[in-house]
Amino acid sequence: MTQQTRDLLTIVLGALLVGAAYLSAFLPGGAPTAAAWLMLAGMTLVLVGLMMLGARRAGARLGRLRWVFGFVVAILMLCFGGALMLAPSEGPGALLILGLPPRAALVMIGVGVLPALVLPVAYAITFDDQTLRPDDLASIRRAAEAVREREG
Amino acid sequence: MTGLLALQSAPLPRLAQPAIVAAGVTYFLGVAAIALWASRRTHTTADFFVAGKGIGIWTLALASMSATLSGFAFIGGPGLVYSLGLGAVFFVLPASMSSSVAAWVLAKRLRLLAEVRGILTVPDAIGARYRSPAAQGLSAVAILVAIVGYMATNVLALGLVVDAIFGIGLGWGIWVGAGVVLAYSASGGILAGVYTDLFQGAIMALASTLVFLYALSSGGGFSGITTPILAADPAFLSPWGTLGPLAALSFFFVFGVGALGQPHVIHKFYMLRDPARLKWYPLLMTGALCLTLLLLVSVGLTMRSEVASGAIPALVRPDDAMPRFLILYAPTVLAGIAFAAVAAAIMSTVNSFLNVGAAAIVHDIPKALGRAPTPALRGARVATLVLSVLAGLVAQFSGMLVAFLGIFGWGLFASTLVPALAIGLNWAGATRSGAVASIVTGLAVTLVFESLAYFRLYSFPTGVTVSGLSLVLSILVFVVVSRLTAHQARDIDADVRLVMEV
Repeated sequence: MTQQTRDLLTIVLGALLVGAAYLSAFLPGGAPTAAAWLMLAGMTLVLVGLMMLGARRAGARLGRLRWVFGFVVAILMLCFGGALMLAPSEGPGALLILGLPPRAALVMIGVGVLPALVLPVAYAITFDDQTLRPDDLASIRRAAEAVREREG
Repeated sequence: MTGLLALQSAPLPRLAQPAIVAAGVTYFLGVAAIALWASRRTHTTADFFVAGKGIGIWTLALASMSATLSGFAFIGGPGLVYSLGLGAVFFVLPASMSSSVAAWVLAKRLRLLAEVRGILTVPDAIGARYRSPAAQGLSAVAILVAIVGYMATNVLALGLVVDAIFGIGLGWGIWVGAGVVLAYSASGGILAGVYTDLFQGAIMALASTLVFLYALSSGGGFSGITTPILAADPAFLSPWGTLGPLAALSFFFVFGVGALGQPHVIHKFYMLRDPARLKWYPLLMTGALCLTLLLLVSVGLTMRSEVASGAIPALVRPDDAMPRFLILYAPTVLAGIAFAAVAAAIMSTVNSFLNVGAAAIVHDIPKALGRAPTPALRGARVATLVLSVLAGLVAQFSGMLVAFLGIFGWGLFASTLVPALAIGLNWAGATRSGAVASIVTGLAVTLVFESLAYFRLYSFPTGVTVSGLSLVLSILVFVVVSRLTAHQARDIDADVRLVMEV
């Protein structure tokens, strides 16, 4: 099984889990508690599967990017999962973290802020050796030249 | 779900005060000056549709941000936070990662495809990838269907904003707003579009940041804002607000993954002068998006806090949250800038839609039918005019239909384009049959179930969204049909294969 096939299977498995979460909402009595976990696992797999598929160069491993995509899995599962697992503590006199109750802070800061700080920097740092190398552009421009010659 | 995304459709509080009118006039003059400058530089269809592939990374990032955020970020969004609590933030929470995801998945491939093929549109990329006029034509039809409705809701919202600023009535507001966008879209195409977007994006980010600071200041800091809410309605500040976890996470899925299928945003990757500058795209785009979304969260929470503490009566409509905040708490000059920002957000989105829609009419659909694309700029300008008039007419005369048409735009883009583009440009095993089947699935599921819901014939249970379901189904159909027609997977041109492998 190639790395690319694994990425694709990750997306398919994720889509199936999201589909299962939706289907469970049709059960009598509405969606069970597990539906949110299915949705969380499914959407995480779809997102990270797409990122791996897109970032992978033909036949190559992800290199340093596997840590970045591992971070995305960890942040989504820990922050959303934490919010699902922690008992509600919102109310008068609740502990506030940066002005928010703990569960909300976990989601808003963990998912809303941390990836915005980490992912763009990771993309920029790895761009020259893993995303677009100077020789990539040269070969693309040669291919473009060939197309122009073929089409006259 | 997307009903929540429908833009402002009821009148805004009247704001016709000298400082606000002055800010509005200054804004429109700025747009006109940029449009005039750009229209003199628009000579070819490549200038009209892809800005001559000559824009820099700052322009790309700010233009993408301003095309992404419509008036929803300034009017509907704060209203949703005011009424649904933190659950409404799930609409925009994926902004922390969506630009980076788009960069890894699509930016390089689309930009390099433009390098080898000179493509102009998103359906062009699908046609080149699959060597399939059918897939190109179907994707163009899906884009056109989504755009007409989406644009009509934006034009209606623009009419309401113009009326609120200048006090000229909704009918005139619609046609003045649409006329201004038409003028620069038809004369300067996307070249005028991206540079006005740059100006508009800067206004949006500035206004949002200033309003955020005023919201914090008037609310007594974040803790000062949340404390009265926690006392009155603790569930409002639960991580899911009043939505519940399944619905909130479902929005994160739809908006996180669906961002990869928004043609008015991703086709801007073609326009970047130097592909190596993509390195900075996520940093700039994420920064601009996050700054501009500060207003959405802070104003919604502040207004809820003011109501909870008894400082002001409950709002008549949630969409009044932003206008009421500006009237009550912001200096008049800032209110003027903020309303110019609302107009900017809507106009930049409408302009991008007009350009993508005109391309579908004069370029993609004729190409799919085996005809030569309509030559020169004239056809593109005429198509832009027709789409503007159509959107204006729908906005003014269709009544509730406009809300219905606006409902499914985002979901239709996502379910018809994400599999064929985001997966197909990265997986050599994808086939043209898979692409066609997934586009048809996305179109059919979205149109059928959104129509059934609109006419109150059938609705999904809580937590299930039409957009999410159609996205999942189109992904699965795409992969399954591609596997079943694996013999077609060899039909990839060598230059396209090279783009997919680097």
